[in-house]
Amino acid sequence: MATTTLEPRASAYRRSWVLDWLTTVDHKKIGILYIVNSFLFFFAAGVLALVIRAELAVPGLQFVDESTYNQAFTMHGTIMLFLFIIPALSGFGNYIVPLQLGAPDMAFPRINALSFWLLPLGGLLILSGYLFGGAAAEGWTGYAPLTDDRYATGVGTDLWIIGLTLVGTASILGAINFIATIFKMRAPGMTLFRMPIFVWTVLVTAVLILLATPVLAAGLIALFIDRNYGGSFFDPSVGGNPILWQHIFWFFGHPEVYIVILPAMGVVSEVLPVFSRRPLFGYKAFVFATIAIGLLSFSVWAHHMFTTGAVFLPFFSFMTALIAIPTGIKMFNWLGTLWRGKITLATPMLFALGFISMFLIGGISGVMLASPPIDFHVQDTYFVVAHLHYVFFGGSVFGVFAASYYWFPKMFGRRLNEPLGKVHFWMHFIGFNLAFFPMHQLGLDGMPRRIGDYSPDAGWTILNFVSTIGAFLIAASIIPFLINVIATFINGEPAGDDPWEGNTLEWATSSPPPPYNFDRLPPIHSERPLFFLTHGHGHAAERPEDLEEEPIGESKHGDAERRPEDLV
Amino acid sequence: MPDTHVTVEPGSFENELMQRMAPRNRLRTLLRIGVPLLLIGLLAGCMLPPEPKTEVGRDVFNLYLIVLGLALIVFVGVEGFLLYAVFRYRRKPGDEVLPPQLHGNNTVEIIWTAIPSVIVFILFGFSMATLGEVEARSDNPGVIIEVEGFQWTWTFIYPDGTAITGSAAEPPVMPVPVGEPVRLVMRSIDVNHSFYVPQFLIKRDLINMGENGTPNELEFTITEVGTYAGQCAEFCGLQHADMTFEVDAMERADYDAHMAALAAGEEPPSPGSEDCGTPIQVAAVETIRFDTDSIEVPAGEDFCIEFTNNDTVLHDIGIVEIGFDGDDIGAGESITYVIPAMEAGEYTFICTLHAQAMVGDLTVTE
Repeated sequence: MATTTLEPRASAYRRSWVLDWLTTVDHKKIGILYIVNSFLFFFAAGVLALVIRAELAVPGLQFVDESTYNQAFTMHGTIMLFLFIIPALSGFGNYIVPLQLGAPDMAFPRINALSFWLLPLGGLLILSGYLFGGAAAEGWTGYAPLTDDRYATGVGTDLWIIGLTLVGTASILGAINFIATIFKMRAPGMTLFRMPIFVWTVLVTAVLILLATPVLAAGLIALFIDRNYGGSFFDPSVGGNPILWQHIFWFFGHPEVYIVILPAMGVVSEVLPVFSRRPLFGYKAFVFATIAIGLLSFSVWAHHMFTTGAVFLPFFSFMTALIAIPTGIKMFNWLGTLWRGKITLATPMLFALGFISMFLIGGISGVMLASPPIDFHVQDTYFVVAHLHYVFFGGSVFGVFAASYYWFPKMFGRRLNEPLGKVHFWMHFIGFNLAFFPMHQLGLDGMPRRIGDYSPDAGWTILNFVSTIGAFLIAASIIPFLINVIATFINGEPAGDDPWEGNTLEWATSSPPPPYNFDRLPPIHSERPLFFLTHGHGHAAERPEDLEEEPIGESKHGDAERRPEDLV
Repeated sequence: MPDTHVTVEPGSFENELMQRMAPRNRLRTLLRIGVPLLLIGLLAGCMLPPEPKTEVGRDVFNLYLIVLGLALIVFVGVEGFLLYAVFRYRRKPGDEVLPPQLHGNNTVEIIWTAIPSVIVFILFGFSMATLGEVEARSDNPGVIIEVEGFQWTWTFIYPDGTAITGSAAEPPVMPVPVGEPVRLVMRSIDVNHSFYVPQFLIKRDLINMGENGTPNELEFTITEVGTYAGQCAEFCGLQHADMTFEVDAMERADYDAHMAALAAGEEPPSPGSEDCGTPIQVAAVETIRFDTDSIEVPAGEDFCIEFTNNDTVLHDIGIVEIGFDGDDIGAGESITYVIPAMEAGEYTFICTLHAQAMVGDLTVTE
């Protein structure tokens, strides 16, 4: 008599906690690695920002010399963009996209791990310039010919090039993985137009990365050849063209702005409907606006180059102004979602509303900059610094924090403390405006960016001082956030599967989800499968007569204890 | 289906609630009106470029005002709507009633696509009109100056061959005539730089395009005598912050004299010292005082003030009412200013560095 004893394989295979995280190919663990890694780089680049702001508080060089200052703003920009904002949003994408699609994992789990591990490697290479005679100091845009080996003699610039190439490679691999996952791994019933908006924005972002980042990588390699092997791509003394670098850099660099902002828009478009208890107003319009922004983003790069005298101004001005239209549509979609909603001002919602109100300012100043005569005045001044921080910080970073508060309960099974979250938000919001709003005026007054010192006669002292206070307030706002995260890990309120009455599939599994995510999936008939599971399909109708207010019926899901009443 | 509404007795509890809410509503109304007004005030009070000192600068300034106006309308409209919605549509504790599940509305969506489109087209039209002015080139500029930028200062080369250069520590000064088009032909001999004078509301990059490259050009007509601070605006390496210069705009006659003196290798005459008669002498003397506390000048004609610093610390001289504020003058130095004609009346001259101790009366007589 033949009997076979089955060994329980999975449980018998034990690894140490460290080895488990180092070798994981689980998209959720990789997502968390992405996010933790991003926040570590965020704190490093934040310290550099404080160095910059401390130096600029009053005229004169008090704390650092010119060389250190130039390294500080170069590293600040590079690290914030390439190793904080992009990977943080990729991290949330990694964690959330498969869950929202009802998929067990990303399409290529091992490539997913590779694309993460290239990041700390690249980031540390970029920063390691500090150990070898000074980090790169040519600005995050690395304009030729300043980056030529004649003017940038240190090895820091080479490390910057190599590090960025690795980080770019990581981005490209990640983008391919997202595209494959989104097209091939959707659960039955999850058609493209039933995908959550966050997934849509990640998809468009991935396409932008796939088309734009290889251009940057090629440019970086060409620059490396110029510096080390006597190439002449960008060196005018041997027939190269320094303007070519600007074209290459911004052909990547402008889509990059949308790479950074679109997923944050996706986060906001997840948070607003949940905390307004309404569907996103104009789902399809939002999707098409996202695609339109993606397409237009490839035709506007030279608006960074208006003052070079080397580009055709009307075309790039017009295309840039056109982007305001799909962006405006999104703005109205969000406002339409709030209108007649039932709004709960929980922390994720506060950050999402902060995103809308601050990104609006960045958008408006962007349209102002699209006008060449105005750009001639404020290009390369603090007006541009204000503009880009209202987009990247007021936009993307607020989005990252909205995502952090919103999905933390899903990732760790515990909810972040609300009062501490609100303290964080208000300090962050006030500090942000104090730090960056005065920069508009500084730029209009003619203060150039990337200067460590300015004349006391220039009249820029008061606004710079205010801005520095704001920067330190932002830094202080991180303290309640960190306390909140630590305290929640020690003794946080259990979240349950669905603490926010979510709409999308990630809330249909446990918190945190098990390996491979779902034991079973609810039926998917719309972009809000969980909402319809809870509230029934009466709400699916788009005809106005079906949209009368009505009390919720008996729900399969809605025990009152889980509702965030205490947050109102 | 059980109703999860909390049923409220009509008339009793609700009325009481309404009355208690009243002060809060007033606060909200105040916020609704006050916040936008405050923001408009804040934004309109500042958010302006410097007063333009060139003809084209005025066009840019006017364009900026139009664009800022549009920007404020959008800003106030959207933020106002956002704040209103957030205050008005709050979920009450225990409210389980779903709001209407509206997925979209084609009419509304078409309208709000049209609004930004119209704004964008208006903006683009005005921008292109102004761009034409900015890029216009005169057939016969008053002077053509070659500007060479390098790490970390400038050389200005004049048609007669005079070259003015400086260093990061001692920035160069570019003399130009007012009221005539000044054309700059700009090259870099190393990395990228950018020629920027904030009060002209314009900048243009200096790019090293090699031997055969076409240099960038910039043209402006300065409308007012004065010195204007300028600075490299494109990051150019270690001492980028020190790459400053000044544009010294003077009347044609002064400019010619100035350039002739430079060509002859002499110290150029102080601007305008010849055509304003005998300057009025004012000196700062020890223990932080002026040597006089009243001076008198005739109305309706330009006059000169020769200011000498005989004290041991920095001083300057300014006239409060007309916003004139001279340079800081070191101990033992002297400077002559041409003050444009003033109307009859009583004015105050001060040292802005010691406004408490150093004040005097300036009487302009008919």
